[in-house]
Amino acid sequence: MAEQVDFERDAMQYTRQLYSAAMRMTRNPADAEDLVQETYLKAYRAYHTFQAGTNLKAWLYRILTNTYINKYRKESRRPSEVDLGSVEDLYLYRRLGSEESAEAARTTEDRVLDGLVESDIKTAVENLPENFRLPVLLADLEGFSYKDIAEILDIPIGTVMSRLHRGRKAMQKALWDYAQSRGLLPEGAEKP
Amino acid sequence: MTQTDCDDALASLYQYLDRELNTASSTEIRSHLDECSGCFQRFDFERRLKSVVKERLSEEVPDEFIDRLRLAIAEEIGKGS
Ligand SMILES: [Zn+2]
Repeated sequence: MAEQVDFERDAMQYTRQLYSAAMRMTRNPADAEDLVQETYLKAYRAYHTFQAGTNLKAWLYRILTNTYINKYRKESRRPSEVDLGSVEDLYLYRRLGSEESAEAARTTEDRVLDGLVESDIKTAVENLPENFRLPVLLADLEGFSYKDIAEILDIPIGTVMSRLHRGRKAMQKALWDYAQSRGLLPEGAEKP
Repeated sequence: MTQTDCDDALASLYQYLDRELNTASSTEIRSHLDECSGCFQRFDFERRLKSVVKERLSEEVPDEFIDRLRLAIAEEIGKGS
């Protein structure tokens, strides 16, 4: 079992990551701060139950996620019915790669990847329905394994994979729209 | 190299980039990418996008918040003793 005296030393190293995730969940700094603080206090109170040597980061994220769901998600609890519509695989790549030459395609890819600003990426993620947003955050912001994500969100690994896949495609579709509105695409590129 | 090889590789694209494949399967993908520049380009784009997303989603934590958080934890610790 972990000693509560070690809590600060062990847990405080994840503040930036937890805060970044909390910002994408709540979409505003005041709520993100409350959420992170509540997470740390809950974790501290339960720290004596934490098995030393197991995944502290995943446990903190589990508390963060559950606190968020219980406190901030007042709306419908039937997220599985949210429909993202169908988006083809490699949505962004296919559209950027439709240039005359491979070289031109590569130039467009670079321009888009460099030109999408933080707010584009953040908004694209924040606008995902929650049951897609959380797996995308856990995988792409945090680099958690599918198994960890399944444990954090209490869903089967197969569900993690399919939500991640669909969530990423929907995000790419949004990024394509931002790239277009920022004029990052070559003349004449139109939404197919 | 056949279309099936490409389809198989693309079906495992995210699992490969997320490091979820076992050694044998990743080796298979890697050798396909050596032989197939089309798939290499696709994988490379998705890999770059994934790292752009990670990098631009991260937030700076306000220093004042860190102070408040430490204080709140210290108070909680004080309660217990
Ligand atoms: Zn191929």
